[in-house]
Amino acid sequence: MLLSLRVNGRHRRVEVRPETPLLWVLRDVLGLRGTKLGCGAGQCGACTVQIAGVAHRSCVTAVSEVGEREVTTIEGLGGDGLHPCQRAWLDEDVAQCGYCQPGMLMEAAALLRDRPHPTDAEIDRALGGHLCRCGTYQRIRRAVHRAAGGGGGAP
Amino acid sequence: MSRRAFVARGAAAGLVLALDPIRVLRGGEAEAAGLGEGLPATLAPTPFLRIAPDGSVTIVVGRSEEGQGVRTALPMLVAEELDVDLGCVALLQAQPGDDFPNLSTGGSDSVRSAWVALRDTGAAAREMLITAAASRWRVPRTECRAEDGAVVHAPSGRKAPYGSLASAAARLPVPTNPPWRSREEWRLIGTRVARVDGPAIVTGRAVYGIDARPEGALVAAVARSPVPGGTLEKVDSARAREVPGVRSVVTIPGGVAVVAETTWAAFEGRDALSVTWDESAAAGLDSAAIWKLLEGAISRSQPTRWEGDVEGALASAPRRHAAEYRYPFQAHAPLEPTSCVADARGWRCVLYAPTQAPNRVQAEVARALDLPLEAVTVNVTLIGGGFGRRLAADDAVEAARISRAVDAPVQVVFSREDDFAHDFLHPASIDRLEAGLDVHGLPVALTHAMAELHLSMFGPLDLKSPGTWEGNPRGGWDTPYRLPNLRVDYAPVASPVRTGAWRAVSYPSGVFARECFLDELAHLAGQDPLRYRLALLDGPNVRLGSRVLDRSRLRRVVALAAEKAGWGTPLGPGRGRGIACNLYDLGTAVAEVVEVEVGRDGTVRVPRVVCAVDCGQVVNLWGVEGQVESGVVWGLTHALGSEMTFRKGRVVERSFADFPVLTIDAMPRVEVHAVSTERRPSGLGEPPVPPVAPALANALFAATGVRVRTLPIGRQARPPAAAPAAGSPPRS
Repeated sequence: MLLSLRVNGRHRRVEVRPETPLLWVLRDVLGLRGTKLGCGAGQCGACTVQIAGVAHRSCVTAVSEVGEREVTTIEGLGGDGLHPCQRAWLDEDVAQCGYCQPGMLMEAAALLRDRPHPTDAEIDRALGGHLCRCGTYQRIRRAVHRAAGGGGGAP
Repeated sequence: MSRRAFVARGAAAGLVLALDPIRVLRGGEAEAAGLGEGLPATLAPTPFLRIAPDGSVTIVVGRSEEGQGVRTALPMLVAEELDVDLGCVALLQAQPGDDFPNLSTGGSDSVRSAWVALRDTGAAAREMLITAAASRWRVPRTECRAEDGAVVHAPSGRKAPYGSLASAAARLPVPTNPPWRSREEWRLIGTRVARVDGPAIVTGRAVYGIDARPEGALVAAVARSPVPGGTLEKVDSARAREVPGVRSVVTIPGGVAVVAETTWAAFEGRDALSVTWDESAAAGLDSAAIWKLLEGAISRSQPTRWEGDVEGALASAPRRHAAEYRYPFQAHAPLEPTSCVADARGWRCVLYAPTQAPNRVQAEVARALDLPLEAVTVNVTLIGGGFGRRLAADDAVEAARISRAVDAPVQVVFSREDDFAHDFLHPASIDRLEAGLDVHGLPVALTHAMAELHLSMFGPLDLKSPGTWEGNPRGGWDTPYRLPNLRVDYAPVASPVRTGAWRAVSYPSGVFARECFLDELAHLAGQDPLRYRLALLDGPNVRLGSRVLDRSRLRRVVALAAEKAGWGTPLGPGRGRGIACNLYDLGTAVAEVVEVEVGRDGTVRVPRVVCAVDCGQVVNLWGVEGQVESGVVWGLTHALGSEMTFRKGRVVERSFADFPVLTIDAMPRVEVHAVSTERRPSGLGEPPVPPVAPALANALFAATGVRVRTLPIGRQARPPAAAPAAGSPPRS
């Protein structure tokens, strides 16, 4: 089935079955491999993208559900530069293996859109469904505060 | 290419000195003869560095990046000596071959083994560049110095960038013992340097194994036997072949592969297979049977260390105490599922592998395809979490076999369920300890026996040479405590399921048992567990085989962690502190204080962990802090909630819903105190892990009076009101 998608500001046409998870359309059809497979069941957050600015698990989102809404992936998060979250992630040296970080970043950026100055509890709630086996959570909290303009330390 | 020429010449001159595991070539007086046209224009004193005439500097990384920071820390060592900006250096991942006979990443060994070799590399190049400049300018060598990518002659103000000197320098002999920069001159070592792959990671450009699929490659999902030793009975692939995008279905040793145009089609095709396995080999194989196996083995354990009259001292001790501890199977569960790309078309094979063991991948693929080693090229990608899982080559061998079968480049991708079901698990183990205490409550004798499953990842258990087990059980054999009479016993057991190296390998279980038991002894003696530890660490260093156990370094971090944690200050009801420590492989010293809070409903929360580490000279302080934070999360995850179990030979836990991993809302405040020392670095990827679980269990006892002797603790601990007395039998 021929579907029309808007991804990172571009119109894309893809020939896929409608039930195909968005994750695999992004990775295997459009070549946007920054969005990761972690569990395929919405349990780890590695595949998180934004659809119309809201964080979604692309591994359990059928491509046909997306419709006309804009899909933003890690490749498009910063537009032509870096999103404040990406800059903060670098400033706090958050990543270790880094595999889960695109999903973390997409979720954190969506959080900051709704809550420009989140508390630790709000950060924990938003990112509580994201797994990081390297255990970078402490730095993620710091980086979200930094991106929110609150400096690096927890307020 | 020039690198090859260099190596060939070095080898021909008989001047190659192999320093395992990271090898450095030494030129010596090598190049004195026979220099002429066609010589390398690139300066490459060792396989780890290339400086080209165009000024480009390439540092070759001989370890795999799995988040532990080697692609930052190792180049820092070269760049420090060479005095180049890390940001201007290109990194190249080493491939197995003559230059790199051992690229294996494990044992917290990367910085430790590179410390001399890579500084030598940078220093040798710098000295050669200075010599080349001095001779070009006809000035005394002592008047020249290397500075920020150039050689400078201060008296005349002349300056030559490294690139302009590379060809001339390449013709010079490689100095055998180039002087290292003094500590005062260091600009990088000991500072906080941001991860070099950071920008690629946060923009999604970083290429992990799963992202390394070349254009046009196919994807394979494999149906494997659900039990160890299962054999394929029959397969009906008709429905799988009908799934759009599925190209073919092939049988390989150990599985049936569905090969498709996309990952999703491969997974769907694999789900549509109808496969019957003969599972009779695994009849009766469940967790209870494995624990029985270990219980039987521990009574047959053999001494690996035996000092003094243990039986006599135990018999005459006024008080004795014994306890048994159990450590469960654990999965690696890296966020990146296992995957590998292979292109075995023609009589060769090219792989893109997120591997910790590139040489093993090369060797096993060569064997599987009956190819010579040099026909197998292994490109090492970034690894989305390794923790020991990627020391195996099972995925690479599968990919290579499938690629050959379908005559196309193929990427094997494990689903998350595959990853859990076909891991090489951290093995289950049992530790039994007994001590006799004197009238002051101090141990006069101690026995520590352990039975653990052998790591099948490294081949079958070899019981023929008993000497092999020296050093085991880890944490028991190398106990840091002053024990006048000591016997340590070990029983390795052939594993009925796949087992392998896991973060900190055998240490977590042995240290869990030892540090919890010590806490029990302290409480029996009516003493503070911190003071009790410090008293037993007060003594001369111990010679163990050819190495020395340095108690004073451990004592120092124990005291530091306790001080920073405010040991002894009141915490309030339902809360407690626990301490544990360890000397990892007689090297890195770690002490951790865990604070725990037990809710009225029994919910366990860990608000704070204080760690003091002495890992020798810190290379990248950000890396050190990160590894400790990471080790704490690893330790808590596996102490609190996760374990792997078996039913009818099958792995029960197959998703993150069954295998709870610590999340951000449970993340404690982790405080890291790295003792500044000038000792050679001793590694930090693994050492922070082992003390976490016992410090947590000891904190739980302090908070509730409940002794935990079997992991995982579970998300729920019994509330204080229901607490049985100390010394109660282990729950299991």
